[in-house]
Amino acid sequence: MGAIKLINVSKEHEVAGGKRLRVLEDISFEAGAGSFTSILGPSGCGKSTILNLIARLDRQSSGEISTAGDRIGFVFQQPRLLNWRTVADNVTLPLEQQNLDKTALRALAIKYLELVGLGGHENYYPLQLSGGMQQRVAIARALAIDPDILLMDEPFSGLDEITSRKLRQELLQIWGQTGKTILFVTHSIAESVFLSQQILIVSAKPARIFKRLTIDLPYPREYGDLRLFEIETLLTRDFLGMDAR
Amino acid sequence: MTTIPRVLSILSLFVAWIVLSLMFPPSIVPGPVAVFKAMAEDIADGNAFYHLYKTLLRVGLGLILTMVLGVTIGTIMGLSHKGEVFLDSWVMVGLTVPAIVNTIICLLWFGLNDRAAIVAIGSAAFPAVSISIWQGIKGMDMQLVGMGQAFHLSRSAIIRKIIFPQLLPHILASMRYALGICWKICTTVELIGMSSGVGYQLNYWFGVFSMTKVFAWTLLFLLVMFAIEYLLFKPVESRLTRWRTGVPALQWAR
Repeated sequence: MGAIKLINVSKEHEVAGGKRLRVLEDISFEAGAGSFTSILGPSGCGKSTILNLIARLDRQSSGEISTAGDRIGFVFQQPRLLNWRTVADNVTLPLEQQNLDKTALRALAIKYLELVGLGGHENYYPLQLSGGMQQRVAIARALAIDPDILLMDEPFSGLDEITSRKLRQELLQIWGQTGKTILFVTHSIAESVFLSQQILIVSAKPARIFKRLTIDLPYPREYGDLRLFEIETLLTRDFLGMDAR
Repeated sequence: MTTIPRVLSILSLFVAWIVLSLMFPPSIVPGPVAVFKAMAEDIADGNAFYHLYKTLLRVGLGLILTMVLGVTIGTIMGLSHKGEVFLDSWVMVGLTVPAIVNTIICLLWFGLNDRAAIVAIGSAAFPAVSISIWQGIKGMDMQLVGMGQAFHLSRSAIIRKIIFPQLLPHILASMRYALGICWKICTTVELIGMSSGVGYQLNYWFGVFSMTKVFAWTLLFLLVMFAIEYLLFKPVESRLTRWRTGVPALQWAR
């Protein structure tokens, strides 16, 4: 059984003048437990809406969504940390409603900060960290709730290329260690090819699945691998073709 | 590092005072020696403490009323569009009416007592706080609230852990500002309608043309306000805004 399953999901928004704007049209896909799936599409095409529906922050107009478990970790484009809290207290923010004592919370914070390569930074404040480090804290926060599914909404697009390359490699390592199901939204073809087992290419307005692609290449993958480059070239051609239609 | 310019700034004011006191007769600008002597006399006979206590009590309770009114109205205006439209004119009226009008009305309504002073202070000073809180809420990072919702934080947890901490700097800043306003209004109220407090003393010594005592009381109150600022507001503020300290971002050193 898949960890995430969408069947004919559509979403409409009410806009001014009583008109209805279709944002998502007939989205169906399945992501297996422990898989890495990317949703690839141009900016502003409604990709984030798909994540919001899966996280139940919004309701679909029609169709069905099922997920294995309802603990969902979310990583946003911006780190969205609370700057007045230490890094450790940011990581444990979503856990504070469970009745854990302070030492247990602290231990969890340290565990997940070490996992994202930020061991020893527990007592820093977010503004003392670089953008890449802040995004690592955000990933640690999402992992700390031990999510059934990890949703990532263009998490590296605000970072410089060198930092984001490093973070992508580390994300794959973390994925390997934790075995989480990851659904990753991006507008970067290279990023989706490097990371995913499955890519869903989405067209704009309304978002519709234009093409599905499975990438069988084993991990760890190397930047500059010619096979990745080949897939990237094909996908770029698809994208240009999608616009021409 | 900021200590030196601060000391220099206060020192230069003091020097200017000495120079002016040498240029004018004591009935116009009394010198520091005479003023501190007058102040010492008032402190020695206990008179100063009674009047300071009365003024601080009125300012303190007036400030509490100001903050309660200001934060409540500012929050409603920031969170609800209807609330904003409804309360906007109240704040405008509050800002426009001179504090002396609030004073006169409260003295007529409540009589010559502390209650009149406190209501006059609160009703005259709250608009400034409301506007600051209102702007604070408008400028709040709503993406953080979205984050809280995505992680299924309860409504009360979002308010306590995400919204309130963002408002706290605005509350603190407006409170410091409001303290100054409250003290000025309090002096006016005491001058017109009270028989105790710093304002009353100022009025009394004005009546007998004692410039030295007027200076002494002004200075005494200034010292008290400085003490509140440096012993209360500054430490609280620096503790609550520790996270903003300008430590440079760490770079990856690996």
